[in-house]
Amino acid sequence: MSDPLLLRLKTLIVATLKLDDVRPEDIPDDEPLIGSPRFGLDSIDALELVLALEKEFGIKIGNSEESRNALASVQTIAAYIRSRPGSKA
Amino acid sequence: MTAPPAKPRNPGPGWGYGFLLWADRWWPRWLFQLVMSAGTWIALGRMPRQRRASREYLSVVLDRNPRVIEVYRHFSAFMDFLMVKLRTGSGAPIHCDLEPTHADEFNALVGSGKPALFGTFHFGSSDLLGYLLSDRDQRVSILRLQVENSEDTRLLGERFGDKVSYLWVNDPREMLFALKGAIEAGRSVALKCDRVDHSARTEAFNFLNARRLFPFTIYHLAILFQRPVVYCIAIPTSDPGRIQVYSSSVFHPDSNQPREQILEAAREHFQSVLTLLESLVRNHPYLWFNYIPLNPVAKAD
Repeated sequence: MSDPLLLRLKTLIVATLKLDDVRPEDIPDDEPLIGSPRFGLDSIDALELVLALEKEFGIKIGNSEESRNALASVQTIAAYIRSRPGSKA
Repeated sequence: MTAPPAKPRNPGPGWGYGFLLWADRWWPRWLFQLVMSAGTWIALGRMPRQRRASREYLSVVLDRNPRVIEVYRHFSAFMDFLMVKLRTGSGAPIHCDLEPTHADEFNALVGSGKPALFGTFHFGSSDLLGYLLSDRDQRVSILRLQVENSEDTRLLGERFGDKVSYLWVNDPREMLFALKGAIEAGRSVALKCDRVDHSARTEAFNFLNARRLFPFTIYHLAILFQRPVVYCIAIPTSDPGRIQVYSSSVFHPDSNQPREQILEAAREHFQSVLTLLESLVRNHPYLWFNYIPLNPVAKAD
C-alpha cells in the first residue's frame, strides 16, 4: 500500500521545483534527489525545497548537514518529517 | 564524516599586520612608503600565480601587455587599501560620499532599516561598505571566507561589532544555510558577487569584452526570501578619510510575476550593475582586487 506522505512529498517537490516534465509518481521513493542527473537539482533547489517543507510541515531544518541527510531521497524526507515533534505530517 | 576544509592564510607572517600598523603610526612617512614599496616588490616576486593573474587581467583591461611597473601598481593598490582597512579598523574616521544617481532610492532603502541583500565586488574600497552600513541602522551579516591571519577583518569586526557580524563560510556547502539563517533572523546580508568558485549558481553577462560567468545566487535568494537587492561599489579619493560610493538601482523581486519574468528582470539589473562596474574598472584598473584568473568566458549556447 502506498504511503500518502510519500505522494504528498512528491507532489510538493514537483510543484515547488516546477519539474514540468516529471509526474509525482515518477519519482522513486529511494532515488537521490540532489545532484542526481535525472532531476538535476542543485543547492538552490535544495534550499527552495527546504523552505517549502518548513512551510508545509511546520518544521525547522537547522543546518546544511541536516538538510543533506534529510533530502537524500523522498523516503528520508518522510522519515525526517515523522521524526520531528509537532510536524504536520 | 569529512574534516572541515583547512583555513587559508594571507601571504606574509602572522605579525605582519601589527607591524604595518605600528610602523604606519610611528615611522616617518618616507620610510614607511619605502618599506611598503619594498614589501610590494617582494610580494610580486614571491607570488607567481597572483602575478600571472594580474598580468592576464591587466592585458584585458588595458588591451595590451602590461609593463612590470603596472603589475606592481596593481599589487601596490591592494597594499594601500589594506592600510585603509587596518586604519579604519583601528578607529580612523571614514566618510562615504554617495554619487547622486540612485542615491534617493538607496537612502530610502537603507534608512528604512528593512533588511536587504547588499552585493558588491572585490574592487576599490568596496570591502568597507558592509561595515559602513551599520551607521545607517542596518544590522548586517557579512559573508566571509575565514582566513587565519586576517587582522584587518578582526579589527573591523571589533570596531563595528555591535551591528555587524560575520558569516564564516569556508565550506561552500554551508553557504546557503548560513545565509538563510541570517536572512530569517531579519538581518541584511552583504556579499561579494564576482568570484564564481563558491557560487551556487552562475550566469553569463557582458563584462570586459566577453560574456563572462558571474555569481547569480543573490537574486535567487532575493526571490526565495522576498528581499530587495542593491549593489554598492566604492573607490578611494585623494582624502584617505573619504570614499566615493556608487549605488545601483534597487531590485525588488515582484512575487506576483512568474519566476522566469522575475529572473529576466534580475538579469537586466545585474547587467546594468556590471556595466557600471566595468566603467569604474576601466577608469581605475589597479583597483580590481582579484588576483585570480578573470571570470571565465561562458561557452557559446
